[in-house]
This record gives sequence, C-alpha cells and structure tokens, in this order.
Amino acid sequence: MTNAQGAATPMDEPLLLLHAYLDGELDPVNSLAIAQQIAADPALGAEVEHIQALRHVVHEKFPREPLPPHLRARIETAIGRRGPQVHPSWRALAASGVFAMALASGSTWVALRPVSGDRIAEAVVDSHVRALMAPQPTDVTSSERHTVKPWFNGRIPQSPQVVDLTKEGFPLVGGRVDVIETCPVPTLVYGRRLHLISLSAVLSASTPHGLSVRRSIRGYNVVDWSEDGVDYWAASDLGAGELETFARLFRSALSGR
Amino acid sequence: MSGEDERARFDRVVLPHLDDAFALARWLAGNQPDAEDIFQEACLRAFRGIGSFSGGSARAWLLTIVRRTAYSWLKKNRLRAQVAINDLSLGERALVEGGGDQDALNRATPETELIAKADAARLEAAIAALPLEFREAFVLRDIQGLEYREIAQVTAMPLGTVMSRLARARHRLIDTIGTEQR
Repeated sequence: MTNAQGAATPMDEPLLLLHAYLDGELDPVNSLAIAQQIAADPALGAEVEHIQALRHVVHEKFPREPLPPHLRARIETAIGRRGPQVHPSWRALAASGVFAMALASGSTWVALRPVSGDRIAEAVVDSHVRALMAPQPTDVTSSERHTVKPWFNGRIPQSPQVVDLTKEGFPLVGGRVDVIETCPVPTLVYGRRLHLISLSAVLSASTPHGLSVRRSIRGYNVVDWSEDGVDYWAASDLGAGELETFARLFRSALSGR
Repeated sequence: MSGEDERARFDRVVLPHLDDAFALARWLAGNQPDAEDIFQEACLRAFRGIGSFSGGSARAWLLTIVRRTAYSWLKKNRLRAQVAINDLSLGERALVEGGGDQDALNRATPETELIAKADAARLEAAIAALPLEFREAFVLRDIQGLEYREIAQVTAMPLGTVMSRLARARHRLIDTIGTEQR
C-alpha cells in the first residue's frame, strides 16, 4: 500500500478535524475548539463554505436511486425464488380455523378482501416485472391514446379508458394484455423519467374505494382504487408518493371527461 | 419451525440494502455493465455467506462484500493504475495548486458559487477521476451517508485513515469543480 495516509502534518490537522466537525463526528470538546478556530480564521470559514456547498450539491444531484428492476429480477433468479408457501393460498386459508371464525362472525368481507387484494397486488407486480424483463414492456407501443385504446378492441372483452397525462409528466408508453387471476386484463404503461408504471384495469363488483397504497412488494409499490365497476392497479418502482400522484392525476383526468 | 432458513435470512438482511449495494458497485466500477457483474457476484457471495452475518449493521456488512468483490474484480479485469494515490498532504496541495494556501482559501465566494452550480455530469466525472481509495470514502460518506466507523468497517481502515481520505477526496473535488469552469 502507499503511505498516503501517513501521519498528518501539523498543517493538515485543523483541516481534517474540520471535516469531522461538519460530519458531526467530533466529540463536544473538539467540536467547541474547532468552532472557535473557524470563527477566528477566515480561511477555515471559506473551507467550511466549500465543503458545505459540495455536500449539498452532491446530495441534490445524486439522490438515492432505486435498484434497476431487471437487476432485482436477476438476483431473484440467481438465488432461486421462494417457494409458493410464502403467501397462504386460498385453500389453506379456507381450511384454517381463523377463516371459519371470520365467516361465522359475519365479517366475511373484511377477512376476504385483504387476502384477495394482496394476491392481485402480487399478480400485478409479477406482470410488471415480467414486462420489464421482456424485450419490450408493451405489446402496443404508442404515446397516442387513440392508438392504444382501439388496440385492445377484439383482444379482450373490455377496452380500458386511456387518458393523456403527458403534460403532467407521465407520458403514455403503450399497452399490453396481462393475465391476472386467470383473467386477461388490459394494462396501460405510462412513463415517468426512466421509470415505468403498469396500470391494470380489472372489472369487478367491489365497492368503489379511494387510493390505497401498498408499499414495497418485492421492491415495487402498488396503488389501487376502484370506481365505476373497475379496480385499477398501478405498479411501479417509483416512490409511493409519485405513484400516488400518478393515480390521482389519472382519476381526475377520467372524471373530467 | 427449525429457525430461519437461509433464504429468509437473506431477504431480511440483504434485500433492504440492494439499492445501496448497486450504487456502491456503480461508483467503484465506473460503468454500468461492470457494476452489474460486480453487484450480482456480491449478492451471490452475500447469499452464500449469510450464515456469517452476526448482527450489527446489515448495510455495512453487505457493502463490505460489495467492496471486496469490486476490488478483486477490478484487479482481475483492469490495470491498477488508477489506484495510485497522490501523496501530497493537504497543505502541500494547497501550496502547489493554489499558489499559496491563503490565496487558495480566500477565493471563497466565487468558488462556493461554482461548486453549488456544478451539474451532475461534471460532478460525476470529477468523482470518477478520484483515486479508488478516495472515491470510496467519499461515496460511502457523502452519497450513501455512512458514519465514519461504518466506513472504517467497510474499508477495513482505521478511523484516522477514513478521515484523511474523505478530507482529501472532498478537497480534490472542491479544486476540480470550484475552479476549472469553462
């Protein structure tokens, strides 16, 4: 090794301590001493400004980035996926006493809804990941909603509502058909910077409900809501906040037409 | 239940820190394809060695593996030219590059402005140009937010060395992006 990190010369000392001071790593006595030196020495004061400007700009320009989804998928594959026992299957649940009690107590809906919701959320994330690993995340690629919507006609029974959110920073990328719980469903793909959002529209008879956020299903966030007989499921590696913003914009664009 | 199996342990200890692991690989390798190889190799090592994790900071544990993997990968695949460290002390540096350290230090305001306005590409190039040992100290602290003692753990260096490398890395960056704006 080199001897670059050998003993600091006396001249280095205050400069080194300055960094430790700004990083909150100095004990109170040394902190006090350094603070006094900074106050007394304009050169040290200038250094403080530089260091703080540097830390600030680095923090701003290199925020924490989520892992690229294809890498997460690669790791999952490399070390082997978990067995299916992680999420209790319907049948196992139905056989369990808890389930029977829930039925008996009349809170059936409460007991069922989260389970089936979680399963759909899982399926939506699966479809999203699979799409990211495919050569293209879409079967039809177009930023034009008048191209994407008709594409679904004839492929699946229901063609989804497609809205244009380009101005809001979520350009339409295209669409595809996913299979969720054995049903083919239309999925729209929107972009946000380099991230993609998969939005699946599932016909359902469930009670309309507002946005509900599920964080971090294998690293992806999922937001769902229900209106007009359709359950919407949005999955993305975007932060939960941004994904919620997307969902809100999508809803208001739908209701505004 | 016969205790936590390896996969469950991996999920609990390693998965939450994959973002940081890849970011470190990216900064150490300097490019995406190499970083992806290093990252995958490191994750496999972490998985195989999960039994050796004995508590403490899971993040530091994983980053230690990433760093070791990156070093052996770089040694195997690249010349070590970039690893040589400039031996000048901070004081010497200021004298040589600034023409007298008082002068160098007194140009406070314009330099601070230049630093604050540096764009991402310029910053990234400046960080990439740091010697590996300086770069890792800087990335671990100022991008990933580790404490000094965690950096000491990850890099297997004494605290004093961590401090000095971090200070030198920052001063080089300040020199680079604080002066040579075209």
